[in-house]
Amino acid sequence: MGAPVVQVEGLTFRYPASDQILHGINLEINRGDFVGITGPSGAGKTTLCMCLKGLIPHVVGGTMRGRVTVRGMDTRKTEPSILAEAVAMVFQDPESQIVGLTVEEDLAFGPENLMRHARLIRDEIPKMLQTVGLIGYERRETYKLSGGQKQRIAIAAALMMEPQVLILDEPTSELDPLGKTEVFQVVRRLREEQQVTIIMVEHEVEQLADVADRIIALDRGCIVADAPPREFFHSAELFHRMEGARLPQVAELFLALEAEEFVGPADFTPYEEEAIAHLDRLLLRKRG
Amino acid sequence: MPVGYSIYIEKPSYVHQRIDPRTKLFALCTSFVLALLFNNPAYLGVLLVAVIAIGLWAKLPLKSFRAYLIYALWFLILGVLIWPFYIHQGPVVLRVGSAQFTRDGLLFGLAMGLRVGLMVTAAGVWMMSTSPQHMTLGLLRLGLPYKAGMAMSATIRFVPLINAERATIMEAQRARGLDLSRGNPFRRAVRYVAVIGPMLVQALDLAQSLALAMEARAFGARHSRTSITEIRLTKVDWYIMIGCVLLIAAAIAFRILGIGVLIRGYL
Amino acid sequence: MAEPEVVIDVDEVSYTYAPDTPLALDHVSLQIRKGDFLALLGQNGAGKTTLAKTFNGLLLPTRGSVYVGGQDTRNATVSSLAARVGYCYQNPDHQIFNTTVYREASYGPRNLGLPPNEVAARVDHALQLVDLADKKDAYPFLLGKGERQKLAVASVLAMGSPILVVDEPTTGLDLHGIRSIMILLRQWNQIEGRTIVIITHDLHIVAEYVPRTVVMAQGKIVADGPTRSILSDGAALATTGLKPPQITRVAQRLSHHGIPPDVMTVDEMLACLRTALSSNKDARTSQEGVSDAGWLQHLH
Repeated sequence: MGAPVVQVEGLTFRYPASDQILHGINLEINRGDFVGITGPSGAGKTTLCMCLKGLIPHVVGGTMRGRVTVRGMDTRKTEPSILAEAVAMVFQDPESQIVGLTVEEDLAFGPENLMRHARLIRDEIPKMLQTVGLIGYERRETYKLSGGQKQRIAIAAALMMEPQVLILDEPTSELDPLGKTEVFQVVRRLREEQQVTIIMVEHEVEQLADVADRIIALDRGCIVADAPPREFFHSAELFHRMEGARLPQVAELFLALEAEEFVGPADFTPYEEEAIAHLDRLLLRKRG
Repeated sequence: MPVGYSIYIEKPSYVHQRIDPRTKLFALCTSFVLALLFNNPAYLGVLLVAVIAIGLWAKLPLKSFRAYLIYALWFLILGVLIWPFYIHQGPVVLRVGSAQFTRDGLLFGLAMGLRVGLMVTAAGVWMMSTSPQHMTLGLLRLGLPYKAGMAMSATIRFVPLINAERATIMEAQRARGLDLSRGNPFRRAVRYVAVIGPMLVQALDLAQSLALAMEARAFGARHSRTSITEIRLTKVDWYIMIGCVLLIAAAIAFRILGIGVLIRGYL
Repeated sequence: MAEPEVVIDVDEVSYTYAPDTPLALDHVSLQIRKGDFLALLGQNGAGKTTLAKTFNGLLLPTRGSVYVGGQDTRNATVSSLAARVGYCYQNPDHQIFNTTVYREASYGPRNLGLPPNEVAARVDHALQLVDLADKKDAYPFLLGKGERQKLAVASVLAMGSPILVVDEPTTGLDLHGIRSIMILLRQWNQIEGRTIVIITHDLHIVAEYVPRTVVMAQGKIVADGPTRSILSDGAALATTGLKPPQITRVAQRLSHHGIPPDVMTVDEMLACLRTALSSNKDARTSQEGVSDAGWLQHLH
């Protein structure tokens, strides 16, 4: 549990000529945390990501109030290029975030913008490719890659900026199951190996529960829950309120079993393996 | 329509790997100037063969020239048919109705066709032997603003995507009954809106998302950008460029002296 | 009772996109009957979209034939087949180009040359089904992703084709959006009697909404049957790299307790557990819609 690296105080935002989309967000994220964000469409998850990244207010128009601080820097008062070295972002669409014709060109794009030395950039590229499991892909043409490969390149490209915080906004929603698995594998590896703080917006709650230390639910512009996965998915009324948010199937099952008093609250689990173990014990007891 | 993002064909040739893109650009301009300075088909023919020879030296496959030579053929035919109406120098060799075709008129038409063919083929060889990265970098080093260079690269990068989207949109609309095979050309063009409309919207969407992604990676943060691709002007490049200058000088001299000029007073 | 007629007959179809490239479809045979609701499952590149495009003539087989309503697709134009097979693409923004929702939804029926009052009737009905009737004058590009998705589906429904192919309609949608589309499709199939083919790789929705599943891998059909048996067939799914839904995986790991391996939804699992865990064995009657066969076998 590190020191706070991201602090959000009273953040509200509305797009031009539009309704308020974020209502008073307060949030603190510590160094090394893995925070998942989930919630229905239109809840403001992407908007929140853009505020954390500094794209709001510097690139995207609208009215922002409150404060977002990253590594002690107020996003409103800091140059976007300095923020870019602290926070990196991976977007939902695999296509429109890849700039380079070849993989190495795309990975080099960010550091080149910061005028880092060409030799240093070249040396970093193979290491990044190893982290995302695409060793030897330097000269491959980006348009020929699969969706999962493209998103992994996007992650590598984001990491080339050497950020302290990595934000991923629904990185797997356009991908097939293989691609989703590939991305989650990389994210899992990052969590284990790197020092980077990860914020990941996802609908794939079953896989998210497995990697996240903590999950936040955003609904209609407000944070309605913020807890480690076990606690987070234990709240039945939360999910009834938020139509459009998913629970892992085992969590749904255990909530129902608890409601019918087959298990107690201490037995609740959102994890697949744990669920199997619990049910195995339960059924064994009944038999014998 | 070239498949993939560019016409570039990767080959391990001297032209591809060792000659700086700026030199190649200069050589291309030289070939254009030479094409304009001569109007004798024999001379232009020799230049065309020379350009093809350079292309072959660059290990470009013969069949990649086909498209350019076919264009040349069309312009040749066009030239031979049209120019004799304007050029009446020289002995008459053909009479069709009241029109008279002179030898020089036909040869001039041939020359005009060869000129276009020469320029088109030279441009083709240049594009096939210079990678988009090198091309962009060469232009940047010549003074193109880096944001314009990025616009060029991004455009090239997204060509296959836009192409694929066009095909998908076409299919989706055909599945809704869009029929582009019948009706007069005007009506067909109007119906094409069903394809152009979504394409434009997608392109705008793409541009917006791309801009955001580029900003997110600090594009425009500094006055310039470094590049992992490297190009360098070597002695060979300078020799080539000096050679080009000499060729141009010689060609100007020839022009003034009337060598390689079939018809004076015409370009 | 006789089986419903075959509306799409795929007969030993092979397809390749270019000569000397691997077969995108490799000797595929499939029969789709009137009123079927089936899912085409498989990884990207397995051939599901390629196969679906042979249904409306967008692609013609390089070998074999596809018969729609008895007619060989080679002898029909895409626009004539559009009246029988509606095809809804994955990305609604690849279709939408009109300035109002109504005009967009009426594009298809107008192309079919239907009389104006017929067009109006079909469009109104379709918009009502997707819950966009009150937005018929809205500008489509201002709608959210889920609504544009519904508009795209409505635009194809309005054509009234008896067979509907939907390509990955739930990509990028949240649970609410997914449910809306799937309930709509179920209604279109069960109440309006249409035949539906859904291309997807989301096994959760297949388990919950789609009765028949066809699994493809590398251009071939590797499994074809009731969703229940396919999803519990680990071998077939393994070849495609797809995993059954979480609840099915859990059930399969508890098979030694008599839990049937073809549990497809949380409700089914709950019913099985309810019976297993309640002290009154005759509470078997409290089961709701469960696969009795496997469970009962183990009880005895």
